[in-house]
Amino acid sequence: MNVPSTTPAAPTAPRRGRLALVWRRFRRGRAAVAGLVVFAALVLFTLLGGLLTPYTHTAVDFTALTQGPSMEHPFGTTAGGNDVYAQAVHGLQRSLVIAVTVSLLTTAIGAVVGSGAAYLGGGRAWGRRGERAVLGVVHFLMVVPAFLILSLASQWGSGDYRVLIVALTALSWMTGARLVWTVATTLREREYVLAARFMGVPGPAIVLRHLIPNIGSLLIVSFTLTVVAVVQAETALSFIGFGVQVPDVSLGTMLADGSASMTTAPWLLTVPATLLLLTTVSLALVGDGLRDALDPTSQAGGRA
Amino acid sequence: MLRYLLRRGAGWVAMIVVATNLTYLLANSFLDPRVNYLQLRPPRSDEEISRSLAQYNLDPGTPLLQRWWTWITGILTRWDWGSSPVGDSVNEQVAFRVVMSGQLVFGALVLSVLIGVALGVYSAQRRHRPADRVAQFVSVIALNTPVAVAGLVVVVAAITINQAVGQTLFYVAGAQTPGVTGFWPVVLDRVQHLVLPTISLLFTSYAGYHMLQRAMLLDVVGSDYVRTARAKGLTRGQAIRTHGLRSSLIPVATQVAFAIPALFTGAVLTEKIFSWQGMGDYLIRTISENDVHGVVATAAFAALATAVGAILADVAVVALDPRVRVG
Amino acid sequence: MNPVPDPVLSVRGLHVTFGSEAGPVRAVRGVDFDLYPGRTLGIVGESGSGKSVTSLAVMGLLPDTAAVSGSIRLGGAELVGLGDRELSAVRGRDIGMVFQDPLSSLTPIYTVGDQLVEAMRIHRDISRAAARTRAVELLELVGIPDPGRRVRSFPHEFSGGMRQRMMIAMAIANDPKVIIADEPTTALDVTVQAQVLDVLRLARDETGAAVVLVTHDLGVVAGTADDVLVMYAGRPVETAPVQELFDAPRMPYTIGLLAAVPRVDAVTRRPLVPVPGSPPSPVDLPPGCPFAGRCPVAVDDCRTAEPPLLPLPGSDAHATACLRTGEIVDGRIGGAPVFTVPDVPDTGPGGPGGRSEREPVLSVEHLRRTFPLMTGSLIRRRVGTVHAVADVDLDIRRGETLGLVGESGCGKTTTLLELMNLRAPEGGRIRIAGTDVARVRGRAELTALRREIQIVFQDPMGALDPRMTVADILAEPLRAAGRSGRARIAARVDELMAMVGLDPAHAERFPAAFSGGQRQRIGIARALATEPSLLVLDEPVSALDVSVQAGVLNLLAQLKRDLGLSYLFVAHDLSVVRHVADRVAVMYLGRIVESGSVAEVFGNPQHPYTRALLSAVPVPDPRVERTRERIVLTGDLPSPTGEQHGCAFLTRCPLARTLSATELERCRSEIPQLVVKDGAADSDADHRSACHQAHGS
Repeated sequence: MNVPSTTPAAPTAPRRGRLALVWRRFRRGRAAVAGLVVFAALVLFTLLGGLLTPYTHTAVDFTALTQGPSMEHPFGTTAGGNDVYAQAVHGLQRSLVIAVTVSLLTTAIGAVVGSGAAYLGGGRAWGRRGERAVLGVVHFLMVVPAFLILSLASQWGSGDYRVLIVALTALSWMTGARLVWTVATTLREREYVLAARFMGVPGPAIVLRHLIPNIGSLLIVSFTLTVVAVVQAETALSFIGFGVQVPDVSLGTMLADGSASMTTAPWLLTVPATLLLLTTVSLALVGDGLRDALDPTSQAGGRA
Repeated sequence: MLRYLLRRGAGWVAMIVVATNLTYLLANSFLDPRVNYLQLRPPRSDEEISRSLAQYNLDPGTPLLQRWWTWITGILTRWDWGSSPVGDSVNEQVAFRVVMSGQLVFGALVLSVLIGVALGVYSAQRRHRPADRVAQFVSVIALNTPVAVAGLVVVVAAITINQAVGQTLFYVAGAQTPGVTGFWPVVLDRVQHLVLPTISLLFTSYAGYHMLQRAMLLDVVGSDYVRTARAKGLTRGQAIRTHGLRSSLIPVATQVAFAIPALFTGAVLTEKIFSWQGMGDYLIRTISENDVHGVVATAAFAALATAVGAILADVAVVALDPRVRVG
Repeated sequence: MNPVPDPVLSVRGLHVTFGSEAGPVRAVRGVDFDLYPGRTLGIVGESGSGKSVTSLAVMGLLPDTAAVSGSIRLGGAELVGLGDRELSAVRGRDIGMVFQDPLSSLTPIYTVGDQLVEAMRIHRDISRAAARTRAVELLELVGIPDPGRRVRSFPHEFSGGMRQRMMIAMAIANDPKVIIADEPTTALDVTVQAQVLDVLRLARDETGAAVVLVTHDLGVVAGTADDVLVMYAGRPVETAPVQELFDAPRMPYTIGLLAAVPRVDAVTRRPLVPVPGSPPSPVDLPPGCPFAGRCPVAVDDCRTAEPPLLPLPGSDAHATACLRTGEIVDGRIGGAPVFTVPDVPDTGPGGPGGRSEREPVLSVEHLRRTFPLMTGSLIRRRVGTVHAVADVDLDIRRGETLGLVGESGCGKTTTLLELMNLRAPEGGRIRIAGTDVARVRGRAELTALRREIQIVFQDPMGALDPRMTVADILAEPLRAAGRSGRARIAARVDELMAMVGLDPAHAERFPAAFSGGQRQRIGIARALATEPSLLVLDEPVSALDVSVQAGVLNLLAQLKRDLGLSYLFVAHDLSVVRHVADRVAVMYLGRIVESGSVAEVFGNPQHPYTRALLSAVPVPDPRVERTRERIVLTGDLPSPTGEQHGCAFLTRCPLARTLSATELERCRSEIPQLVVKDGAADSDADHRSACHQAHGS
């Protein structure tokens, strides 16, 4: 071959390089870093906080009913003599476990359904019909009164958090699926997807190899922000009595307890409200920071 | 155009019918109205309970299909949405509560859109300057504040203020004080009740419009046609106002229209915290009281609100964007 | 010559720097020029050369992140350093601007008339009604039919050409002293480009303004500019009157650029001269001349200090920024050409014997593809049928390149997709390597057929999955074709990389690490992986800069000879097609209107559309470009909806005016078929055209 080789390309930028770049961009956002630190502290608190107290969230100290913060009970006690610190550790853990599980499930379902439908829609007539059918289901589920059905279901499940996980997942995967579908419909027109199709690469392989990896950053961001939304939904349900129920504890039930005696025992309200606010805001900041770091075009000043 | 509207309308009606009937099915399998009679003293026998429930078409002993038929013919022939397990009319409750919710929700909606859009324009024009950063930071917190937390904080703050002033400036519960008469005293009383729930709804909903309006306007500010407008001799500010603002309002208007249904059900927590007898409060009450017919009516109302919101969104887009108008 | 008037616009030492993550981007580094009334300055350069940034800097329309220094004087008044308010008094009144993309540059929610009226009322105290009347006059001036009605249209109701006319109308609404046109025709088809350039000239003559024409197209410059400024890496490297620049370029980059462009009027096929390498990154410029890394005649001194732009001895209009300019005469240095002409094989059809003896690789007969036509984005309803491909015949023999040309919307891309889908077409017949596509049954047969035909796409960025390494990208077709064995696949990947002139050691990199030309080579390698007999090339070089394009075209010629490939080469650029193709088919509204050997079709076009198309292609030679006869078509490509009853080209046909009533009636009622010209010699027996009038007598 006598075709001259062109100048050597820029230094290799494999995956590790990309991660480093994303991390560098992420670190530049001070709010996002603060969010990450706070959220990491909250996670540590749920994992290790229980070691610092002899009480569990169900243990009752009859010598201390509705007591303010003290050496023995750093966050005080409830009217029933429960240690609020122990309840906070357990409640935050419960809320996070529910939120993270639901977000993982909805993101996975959303990715597969959304990109699968988009891929089908780019193909033959039957594929386009399949896409329309999937979208029809998604649209219908988006207009049914989800909060009401959720309340019904978890009322029926009498506070079992696993029922809550199933119900929340069943009623919230559509938003993610629709978002993925919108992005994947533009991806399916990309020439590399066409090229793979023309090479005879089978449909499922195209979805897994070309579509889903290229919406990876979207999925990561959407996962983070879904966690925030699910924490809010779960605590709201628990607050009005339809989510997690006694004897189990989540931040929502603690808020409900606290609201009953907000003037006489303010610590019962302050502790869960603060934890909840810290969780949602810190995670939202992480999500926004991730979006800016992963997608430099979303914000000015981040051009690669 | 008319044919299209009719077809769209028919589609939504079908959607509402399906959603309502689905809820009827779910409510009947998840809720058991007999529970309401079990706590009564003296205890009633199963037959007595069934007889009581049967007069409201709620007896689980009757086949579901038969109960459904009675229920649906009641709605279709007499517009009668049934009764609660203790005999209260659903129609009366809903009629009263929709008005109550409306008072709360629409004030908050209008204020949050006005504040959100104005803030969005303000901070887009000052992008990355301190004012924008502060506004954005506050909005990130507001956007992610759980409604319950916002409501409770407002309540605590109001109680503190009331105590500091030594008289009741704000009421933290209900919509009115019984026994107040005279035009101005009634208005004042209503406002004193409305302020707190409105603030808490406002705080959790304005931020979405702020962020969206800011992002949309920034998109438009960088667009080629705003650059063309500046090339014609408009200053940056003029070009944004005359050429950018209207285009950037299109997605915001859509969002507002879709927010209407969410507002009715989204006010659930706020109504509970402030003991406001609206639709949200009704939702909680009907579910916890096993009021099947009330639950279904709430679902039907939510579906209707969704349909109205979607149609309003279409209308807004057509009004603002000549590209989708059809000759 | 008249006494030299004062320049209306005078730029000195213009620098523009942007901040970026990787460091400051020095987009413009010292631009000087003077602009005289009534004259056109062409600023030429490849992408990233700083030409557009220069024009935006003059307008004061750069984003706030840009740091601008130097001097821009408009009629004596300094513009650099003015605030937005002061500049906006100048913009639109003294300087009008025409942007590249006419679709996104007009506000979608206001009518054309309102936008024109606004342009006038910003600067002048004129009543709305008077401005409206003037708006109609302006639309008429720029050639928009029925301006009284059209003034109430929204931009989306205009075609691309009409939108660009409207942009020009807006730019000249206040009789500016300077008109800046930034790539005004890049987004348009050639026939429309010719119209818009005419309007731009008309606008200049009407207003007496000076024009800055920013473009990458040397042909456009040759036809329109009086003076030319060639930019490279943010600096002017050569400036001269247009004739002199094309006749006697004195800077190696300019010489390379001119030698790399194929010409539509070339009778013999000369090899294109690629400029090796790609431009340096504006973040990390080497010391010395930025072109030194690609320059075949660079000496050590070139790499130490950047040469200033200096006038040549004896000519104050011609200046270069090159140390060796004094030694360069007539594109040669010390008697040897600056760029050595590469050894590219003659790309004529390979194989022994006449054309009819070689086996057909692709044969398409009466291909048809229609789509339902829907209206509105909100209200979707079928209102008709788009005949994207109405009747297409193609015939490619082994070792042959068929160029398929036509304007956007003519159905080229649909035709390609129909071929690549490997499904029975809606109408007609497709045979690939002797196999009728409609008769393929089962996966094995389909896989076998897929190996025969592969495609190379236009956009070298979009065609490669950014998340896969080049090795994975090249292995994908091998795995899909059923090859297995890690070592065998790796060996084939290395072989493919070497075949397209890339270093196999770079196979583990991601596409982002390669330049545009290199990515296109990867795309070609991927297409070649399964050893196809036919390569479909969809605008393979139109996204590349000319200096890089030449290298890719030469590679294609090389591969064709070495591997005995056949190409279906789709392009809108007729110069490129003339350079690479053996045979050509001209497409208009879903039909082939003329086909034959390149020499016949380009040398002796029969169909009036082919003639118009050829005459609209700008030739990078001012002398030819300004003297040749042009046929400028009126209007734009109509949309291919509804059933056709006669000649689709009739609405724009320049012959139509000269026809008698009976001839016209025939054109209206009878669809012309592709036929051989009467009395044709044997040699051009397959030069066919579809025009009732071309075969006359």
